[in-house]
Amino acid sequence: MTRGKTTGSCLCGAVRYEIEGPLPAPSACHCAQCRRQHGALGVYTLAPTDRYKIKGDRNIVWYESSPGIRRGFCRICGSKLFWERADSGQLDVTLGTMDQPTGLRIEKQIYLADAGDYYDPPSR
Amino acid sequence: MAEGEKRPSRATGRCLCGAITLEIRGTLRDVVVCHCGQCRRQHGSPPSYTAAPWADVTVNGSKHLKWFQSSPDARRGFCRICGSSLFWEPMGSGRVSIAAGCLDRPTDLRTVRHIFIADKGDFYEIKDGLEQLPHSMMAQAR
Repeated sequence: MTRGKTTGSCLCGAVRYEIEGPLPAPSACHCAQCRRQHGALGVYTLAPTDRYKIKGDRNIVWYESSPGIRRGFCRICGSKLFWERADSGQLDVTLGTMDQPTGLRIEKQIYLADAGDYYDPPSR
Repeated sequence: MAEGEKRPSRATGRCLCGAITLEIRGTLRDVVVCHCGQCRRQHGSPPSYTAAPWADVTVNGSKHLKWFQSSPDARRGFCRICGSSLFWEPMGSGRVSIAAGCLDRPTDLRTVRHIFIADKGDFYEIKDGLEQLPHSMMAQAR
């Protein structure tokens, strides 16, 4: 867990966010949807939506990647920022858009059965 | 024969929503993982890239492809509908780096190297035993 305030932004700076309070250790997702969209693993932590302050949210494009799931990216630079399950009250955020240091460390690998074939996935 | 230029193949790929599809003739470079701060922010985590000459790449649905110039000599291409990262292009090189994640399986590709680890994020370790370079190896390394 990290404490205090976490800040981050997309690559071009059009979307910025602050998150108040602690964040759980991130997970690295190997699913095919994350792989296609990120061109990478999907590495996310999450917090209740009401702990976020988002500036420039008019620049976020939301894409519904499955029923009730949407992914948010910057319309200008394409940075992948958010993953949200409808009506959950929570918002997942990518570790890559957080300002360094994040003080967080991946603790869980998920959807390993769907991993890409061009790398050796970790054992857990 | 140069390293990584040994795989005569034809690959296909697409963004997450399918609005953009790719066909690549000829050879694809081995996969390189880039740990630079720009890639980390744009992809949301360190991306894996292969590469090819533009002349070997056919892009269908290119009206959905949006380019963002991320440095004076390079730009990044993504789908404006679903946000999928597809390309990193060192402009004027005649080559393009292609996000390995958009390729259909089996890709018949392998990851060989990590670059820009001097800029690596603090939220993961690299434990695969592959070569690590502090910066780039060449302009088209991504």
